[in-house]
Amino acid sequence: MFIQFFGGYLLSKGVVTPEQLVKAIEKEATSHIKLGTLAMHASLMTPIQIEEIKIAQTHTDKRFGELCVEKGYLTDEQVTQLLSEQYPKYLLLGQILTDEGVFDHETFQMLVNDYITESCIDKDGIPEEDNIMIHAMLTDYCRDIHSSNKEYLMEYLTLMVNNLIRFIGADFTLMPPVNNIDCHTAHYSTQKVTGPFKLDSVIDMDEDIAVMFASRYVNEMFESFDEYVQASMEDFLNLHNGLFTVNISNSYSVELQLEAPYSGTDLDIPASENVFVFQALYPFGTVNIIITDQN
Amino acid sequence: MLIKDAKILIGDDSILARKQLKDVLASFGAVNFVDAVNGKEAVEKYIAEKPDLVFLDIVMPIKDGISAVKEIIAENPQAFIVIVSSVGTQQQLKAAIEAGAKDFVQKPLKEEQIKALISNRFDS
Repeated sequence: MFIQFFGGYLLSKGVVTPEQLVKAIEKEATSHIKLGTLAMHASLMTPIQIEEIKIAQTHTDKRFGELCVEKGYLTDEQVTQLLSEQYPKYLLLGQILTDEGVFDHETFQMLVNDYITESCIDKDGIPEEDNIMIHAMLTDYCRDIHSSNKEYLMEYLTLMVNNLIRFIGADFTLMPPVNNIDCHTAHYSTQKVTGPFKLDSVIDMDEDIAVMFASRYVNEMFESFDEYVQASMEDFLNLHNGLFTVNISNSYSVELQLEAPYSGTDLDIPASENVFVFQALYPFGTVNIIITDQN
Repeated sequence: MLIKDAKILIGDDSILARKQLKDVLASFGAVNFVDAVNGKEAVEKYIAEKPDLVFLDIVMPIKDGISAVKEIIAENPQAFIVIVSSVGTQQQLKAAIEAGAKDFVQKPLKEEQIKALISNRFDS
């Protein structure tokens, strides 16, 4: 589930470039997890043993699992069990980056271990309290954001991550926020939140990415960008902002209002201290979330 | 009255939301729909079409759903109006009920909620 943050974690550690990360994420849709990655994650094999088997594979047409059993690194039962168990999604991202030569198996294992330790998540990748964990990780992401409304902003972002997972899919990496840059949108939907806490919300994406986004949201395959695709973007934003007003009302007894959402293309948002850009990198493309704190 | 004989007005500025609600209602046998894209149009179409059931979103351009409920109820105090909205705060719920709405459905739409509503309102 926390693939969203593993990508960001790798970026923050400086072990991948944004370009390498985007390329790896694009490959996720067509990649499969390998037995070696699973065995390493389960602490059944070392990175050196995995490299050894991979080299052995170049001299024979035997499968990776067969060679591991022959070498005595795994039993048949362990191979079957590893292949049948669910695995945390961040492993696939790490595996692709390893295959791309961005880092080696040993570094990969170290990064995963550090990520688990620093993020306090269970080794099976399923957090005890999803919301608390997402909130804690976003707090770390946003440590350099200084705003008198930071608490509301964090609520907003936590819910946005939850809603992306719930309505679009968990297979995204959330990039750390970028602040104070000029934004030029492709296809956007926007909605104003008004009341004691005011913000302008925008989701923005390219046309073909919007088609995929809408297909996932509505659970129906769209072929091209049309009014239903545009309405799906607006509907997602409206639903998210609506749920945000409910949460704020319930938690803080603060009543916020929404204006009707609308859509368009080529919106220019000038750089400002109050503009925050978050990118959710899905295998089908990048969804930009632009929040302007209007207080 | 059977649902297949009912005229149903759906007021929502989102073409997607209108389609999704229509699809759910059609799966229960509804066939006769009237669309409105904002609160003002919903009031006008209510007066012109006299529907048996009205679904209204709250956040709409030109005129919001709560204002539309008040105007429709002023026209016909017996109008059966259901608010369908993502803004399900206690305050909005209270405003909708005070305006005269009979029910409040929180988005995202759940088929069971619409089913329960239909079975209460129409003969099976």
